[in-house]
Amino acid sequence: MGTRALRRIASRVGQSLVTVFVVCTLVFAMIRLIPGDPVLQILGNEASPESIKALRSQLHLDGSLLQQYGSYLSDLLHGNLGASLIQRGRPVSEIISSSVTSTLTIALFGLLLGVLVGMIAGIWGAVTRRKVVNVGVQAFSILAYATPTFLFALLLVLVVALMWGLLPAGGWPGGFVQSLPYAILPAIALGVNLAPKFLRPVRQEAIDVQDTLFMEAAISRGLPRRKLNLSHVLPNSLLPLVTLVGISLGGLLTNAVIVEAVFGIPGLGSELSKAVAQRDYPVIQGITLLMSVTVIVGNLLAETMYQFVDPRARVQ
Amino acid sequence: MTITQKPIRLSFLRTLFGERVSRTVGAVLILLVVLGCIFVPIFSSHDPSDLVAPPMQAPSWAHPFGTDVVGRDVFVRTFAGGRIDLFAALIVVGFNATFGTLLGTAAGSSTHRAFDSVVMRIIDAILAVPMVVLLLAVVMVVGSTNAWGPLPAGLPGAMIAMMLIGWAFYARLSRGQALVYRESDFVVASRIAGLSQWRIVTKHIFPGVGRLSLSNAIGDLVASVVLLASLPFLGAGVQPPAPEWGSIMYEGRGFLQQAWWITMCPGIILALTGLGLSFLADSFLDSREAGK
Repeated sequence: MGTRALRRIASRVGQSLVTVFVVCTLVFAMIRLIPGDPVLQILGNEASPESIKALRSQLHLDGSLLQQYGSYLSDLLHGNLGASLIQRGRPVSEIISSSVTSTLTIALFGLLLGVLVGMIAGIWGAVTRRKVVNVGVQAFSILAYATPTFLFALLLVLVVALMWGLLPAGGWPGGFVQSLPYAILPAIALGVNLAPKFLRPVRQEAIDVQDTLFMEAAISRGLPRRKLNLSHVLPNSLLPLVTLVGISLGGLLTNAVIVEAVFGIPGLGSELSKAVAQRDYPVIQGITLLMSVTVIVGNLLAETMYQFVDPRARVQ
Repeated sequence: MTITQKPIRLSFLRTLFGERVSRTVGAVLILLVVLGCIFVPIFSSHDPSDLVAPPMQAPSWAHPFGTDVVGRDVFVRTFAGGRIDLFAALIVVGFNATFGTLLGTAAGSSTHRAFDSVVMRIIDAILAVPMVVLLLAVVMVVGSTNAWGPLPAGLPGAMIAMMLIGWAFYARLSRGQALVYRESDFVVASRIAGLSQWRIVTKHIFPGVGRLSLSNAIGDLVASVVLLASLPFLGAGVQPPAPEWGSIMYEGRGFLQQAWWITMCPGIILALTGLGLSFLADSFLDSREAGK
């Protein structure tokens, strides 16, 4: 690692911190942009002055805008996300920690499946000489892209769960091992939606690699095709995956929220849409920040990793 | 960024039967859906919100897509809903592509680096936040139940949210492309020849950038229809009783076993629309820019 690469990483960390700060500010502005008095909207017009005052201070809506912003930021820095307005003062951090497992499980399995399918299909479609495989990969890619996640999820429920009765149609019993069967269909829905996003660039990279000089040299040295694919095509086509995984985290979380709704899984997404429906601002704030920071950190990690896996990125 | 930004051609119909078949199939699919959306609600004897038959009747000649949970005709509702989805997608993509491309070209070809940096930081911030979070935030601020004029409740908020976010993708793509063109030989040559900055940007940089955005926009129509139809599953989007592909399917999702047609029939039309648009987008790609 040269100093130039280190400097670039440091500047990316700085940029990410700025983005986190911008996101926090956006979330702060969000509640204040809502038309009308959010406190009255939450409590209704017949609320007692005491409860209005209490809620106002809990939401940091008293004092000047600058004071409000200051106490909001200091709360965040102390890891205090506030308490739910609807769920009898339950701390937001507790709501998040109790609902994050199911979301994380289906999202990670979905990501794993998407990466595997995208990688294998992308490279296979690029190196194959059989038209059937090439057309099959293209057809899968275009179909998976044109079908919304929720539609594919509903189709899985209808066919696999209801008609064949192979897997549960929804719900989440809790406990990692007991929940695994409940995670399979949601993970497939997420993975199939994700796969084309990985498949296309991987396939393109695998095609481009075949036109390079080092491939030509390897072919003229008489390397067998299988070895060529394993040692030259595979590593090079996997490079875009590193960055792509980081970029796709946002879309993955969006789809996880949708898939949770289809399968009736109690997770971050259901807590978020419940909170949006009930105008439970601290919960919205907390989950919003958590999701955004996850995506920003994921992007940062991906870009930093890239410097390690691709030597060319370090000298450019 | 090391990812190939160029769109990749993936129409398996083109691989099998050639360019013309792929383009024709795409156009015919879209034409059928659009004609259905125009004429089915006009010639149908009943309104999308009329109760025409007992609830959850299986597809029949009188009601090709069956009836829904309360006994409305799913066929009429699907095509009336298509009007909303396709209209919204056209407006949203049209705005995003135009605004994003103009701003991205301006940032990429601007001689003021500060302007470029500011635009890029805004784009970064928008793209760093998960889409769902921004969408829900904007829908909350705009209001999820407002109906504006002929637009049904929930649609204005969803459209504004998609417009506030979507332009950033075009702006980033266009800025990158403009940077490439700015250093290319023909632009350097015209700069040496003494052409004004305005003329270079409008005559030499913008046409190429615009074509890339256009081919991207057709594929983006798919993504926008899909996103709008997904919103009901996030607790936002078009509110019932207005027919919209996503809200029809959301209403029917609890009755998959008793009445699969409520969700699957609009779903098939939605998937066919997406497929047709994907084929069209594929054939609009410039073969010199696109991958193999």
